[in-house]
Amino acid sequence: MIRSLLAWLDNRTGCNDLLHEALYERVPGGARWRYVWGSTLVFTFVLQMITGIFLWMAYSPSTQTAWESVYYIQEVMFLGRIVRGMHHFAAQAMIVLLAIHLIQVIIDGAYKAPREVNFWLGLVLLKIILGLSLTGYLLPWDQKGYYATQVSTKIMGATPVIGAQLQEVVQGGAQYNHHTLTRFFAMHAGILPGLLIAFLALHLYVFRRHGLTVHDPKYKPDTTFWPDQVLKDGVACLGVLAVVLLFAIFKGAELSPPADAAKAYAAARPEWYFLFLFRFLKFEAVEHLGLAFGAIYVPGALMGILFMMPLTAKLKAGHRFNVAFTWLVTFGIVVLTTLAFYEDANNEDHQAAIAEAERDAHRIKELASRPSMIPVEGAVSLLREDPFTQGPVLFAKNCASCHRYNGHNGRGIVLREKDADRNVIITKPVATDLANFGSRDWMRAIIMDYGNHFGPLKNAEWYQNLGDDDLNLDESEMADASNGYAEAFQATENAEDLKALVEVLVAMRKWPGDETTIDAKLAARGQQILDGEPLADGTEISSCTDCHDTIGSDFEFTGEGFGYPDLAEYGSAKWLKAFIRDPGSDQFYGTKNHMPAYAEKMTDEELDILVRWMTGDYYETHVEDYPSRLTEVFGSEPQPASDTSAAE
Amino acid sequence: MSENENATPAPEETSPPKTTAVTDDSGSGRPRRNFVVECLAAGIGGLVGLVPAGIGSLFFLDPLIRKGSQPAAGTSAGTGNNPVVKNENGFLRLSLGIDALPEDGTPVRYTVHDDIVNVWNKFPNQPIGAVWLRRIQDQVIAFSTVCPHLGCDVEHRTSEGDFYCPCHTSAFDLEGSPLNKIPPRSMDTLETEVKDGRIWLKYEQFRGATSEKELV
Repeated sequence: MIRSLLAWLDNRTGCNDLLHEALYERVPGGARWRYVWGSTLVFTFVLQMITGIFLWMAYSPSTQTAWESVYYIQEVMFLGRIVRGMHHFAAQAMIVLLAIHLIQVIIDGAYKAPREVNFWLGLVLLKIILGLSLTGYLLPWDQKGYYATQVSTKIMGATPVIGAQLQEVVQGGAQYNHHTLTRFFAMHAGILPGLLIAFLALHLYVFRRHGLTVHDPKYKPDTTFWPDQVLKDGVACLGVLAVVLLFAIFKGAELSPPADAAKAYAAARPEWYFLFLFRFLKFEAVEHLGLAFGAIYVPGALMGILFMMPLTAKLKAGHRFNVAFTWLVTFGIVVLTTLAFYEDANNEDHQAAIAEAERDAHRIKELASRPSMIPVEGAVSLLREDPFTQGPVLFAKNCASCHRYNGHNGRGIVLREKDADRNVIITKPVATDLANFGSRDWMRAIIMDYGNHFGPLKNAEWYQNLGDDDLNLDESEMADASNGYAEAFQATENAEDLKALVEVLVAMRKWPGDETTIDAKLAARGQQILDGEPLADGTEISSCTDCHDTIGSDFEFTGEGFGYPDLAEYGSAKWLKAFIRDPGSDQFYGTKNHMPAYAEKMTDEELDILVRWMTGDYYETHVEDYPSRLTEVFGSEPQPASDTSAAE
Repeated sequence: MSENENATPAPEETSPPKTTAVTDDSGSGRPRRNFVVECLAAGIGGLVGLVPAGIGSLFFLDPLIRKGSQPAAGTSAGTGNNPVVKNENGFLRLSLGIDALPEDGTPVRYTVHDDIVNVWNKFPNQPIGAVWLRRIQDQVIAFSTVCPHLGCDVEHRTSEGDFYCPCHTSAFDLEGSPLNKIPPRSMDTLETEVKDGRIWLKYEQFRGATSEKELV
C-alpha cells in the first residue's frame, strides 16, 4: 500500500532519484570525522531557523517594546530563557564553525580549481552570516547591542562617497528610531535568511557536482553519505547542540539594560568575535589613518585576498602563500582578541562600567516585574526614574568632587589623581563620607566624635587658612559639646542613654520603614534627655536643643537663622532637599558654609532622585550595593558604614 | 568502527528492506548497509532536529502552560492617582457611593474602570464596560449595558420608563425582564455589594443570543 503510494508519487515527481542523489553521494576513502564541519554549519542554521521563528512569535520590534518583549521572553515565558539562549549561543557556534570550515577548506586546497566558484559562494555565505550577527545584535534593544551597533552604523557612515546616505538608509533616519528596528528585523528574519537559503542551495549543489575533496582515497573502503557519513555528521551536530544547550541553560543570553540614547554605555564592546577588529581600530596608528582605513580598507583588503585565493593558487607557491596568509590572519585575530580581553580585564574603569551595567540589568528586571509592570513609555523610563540606580550617578556627578560614598564616588570607583611626582594616588575626600548619612552611626558619631566625623573637611583648601567665620572642628561650640558628650557617655551607666539620644535624633528622619524600626520607648527616653533631664549616672549635659532649638518640631525652610544648622526633621527628605539647595542659608551653616548651593545646579527631579536614594525611598531591591572602599580611602580608621539598629 | 563488525543480527528484519528495496532499484554495487548504523544515523539525525523543535513548541504553548500559575483575580491595593481598588473576589470598588444614586430607583449609567494587562504592559484605570445601577433601599442592582440579544448598548428611556436597545428594539422593564419577544433572556445582572456606603461590583461579560446566562 505505502509502496504503491510512494511509486505513484515517484512516478509524478521523481522524488526517488532526488532522494537517492541526496543520500547516496559517494564518499571515497570512507566516512571521516573531518568531513562533518559543513554539516554542522547547515545544522546550526536550521537551529537558528527553528529558534528564530519561535522567538519571532514573541518579539515586538519598536523602541518601546523590543527590550520589553525580549525581557518577557527571557524572564517570564515558559522555556523562553532556553529558546533565546539557544539562538544566542548557536549564532556564536556558527561563527566558530564557519572559521573552522574556512580554514579547513584552505588548508586542504578545496578552494582550488574546479571548486573556485563554490569557494566564492562560501565567502558570500560568510558575509551573510556576519550580516545576520550584526543585525541580530541590535534587536534586543539593550544598551550593549545599541552602542555596539552604533559603532557598526558609524563605520558604514565612514564609507567613501555614499557613507552618510548609506547610514541614513540603513537606520531609517538620521538617528536610531522605530524604523531602525523594523529594518534590522526585516533584514535579520527575512532578507538575509532568504539569501542564505538560496546561496546555501547553490553551495550544496556545486559541492555535489565536484564531490568531496579527498586526501587519501585508500584510507578505507569507499562508502556513501547515508548512513555512514550521516551518522558522523549527526553525532557532530548532537555535540554542537549539547554545547549550545549547556550554554543556554547554565550561562543564558545576556540582556543588558534597555537602550538609552541619553546614557552613554561605558561597558560597550562588540560581540567577542568582532573584538579583534575593535582592538585593531584602537591602535593609535590605525586611528590616525581614519575610521575608513581601519574598518573598511583593511578588512576589505583581507577579504579581497581571500576572494583571490583560487586564482592565487595557480601561481607558483600560490597555495603555500594562501595557507600562510590564513594562519597569519588567524594568529593576528587570536592575538588581538586576547589583547582586548586582557586589557579589559585589567582596566578598572571598564570593570566598574561592567559592574554598573550588571547592577542596572539586575535592577531593571526587578522593576519590570513589579505588580505595576512596565509602563507604556517603555522600561527605560523605569530605570531613569529609579533612585537606587540613578542616585549614585547623580552623586558621582554632583557630590563626589568633595564627598564620598563608602569611600567610592557613588558608582563604585575610587577617585585617583597624580601627585607632584606624577605618582597615582587616591584623591583625598574634602567632605564627609555620606554612605551612612542619617543612620544611628551617623548620629552617634556627631554626638561622640564630631571632629573626626567631619574630619575630611580638614583636607580642604579653605581649612588650611581657617578664619574665625569658618567651621572649626576642634575649637567651636559644637566641638566643645561633643567633647562633653564623649566624656559623659563614657560611663557604662549611660550607655543606654546614648542609645536613647541617638534614637530620638534618628526618629526625626522619617524614612520609609522607620515606623517599624524606631524604638519608641528608647526615643521617649531620648526626648527626656533633650528636654534637659540628667543622665543615668546623674551627669547633666548641655542639650542639643540649646543651639538647635527646633529639634522635634516640623521643618520649614525660611532661610532665617543664626548659622546653627536647623535640625528640625534632621535627615528627612524634606530637610535634605532644603539643605542641598542652599546650605549657606542662615538657617543652616550661614557664613560658615563651604558647600556649593545646588538650587540652580540640579533640577527638582534630579534632587528628588538623589534624596530618595540617600533616604532609602525606592522600590525594594535585592541587588548588591557596590563594595565598600572605606579602608582604601580612609586608611586604618574606616568610618562605620552600617546602620546599626537600636536593638544592638 | 562498527562498519566491519555488523555480525549483530538485526532484531527486526522487516523494516529495513523497505529502504533497500527502493534504493536497490536504481543503485547497484553499493557497500552493504549496516542496520545499526542506519538506525543510529536516523535516530541522532531525528534527535538533533526534534530537540529544538520540541523546546520551541513548548515555548509557543506558553499561554496554555503558564495559565495555571498566573493569579486569576489579582487584588489591587490602589496606588497613584485615582487608582482601581479590587478585592480578592474580583469586586471593583466604584468611585460613587450608594448615596449618589437616586432613592427612587432611577437607573444611573456608570462606566466601570479596571487595570488592563497587556502582556508586559499594565494600563492603569481603563474603561472596560458600562453598567446601569439602580438603588433599591440599601441595596444596589446592576445591569450590564450589553444587550443579551446581540450585544448592542441598552439605553434607559426616561419617556417610557424602560430599558431599550435601539439596534433590534429589545425592551426591558426596570427589573430587567423582557417586555417583548426579541431578547432571549432578561438583562444580565452583575453581582454587587454595599459596604460602608461604597458600591463594589464584579464586572463580567456574558454570551449573547442564548436563553441562559453564560460567562464569556
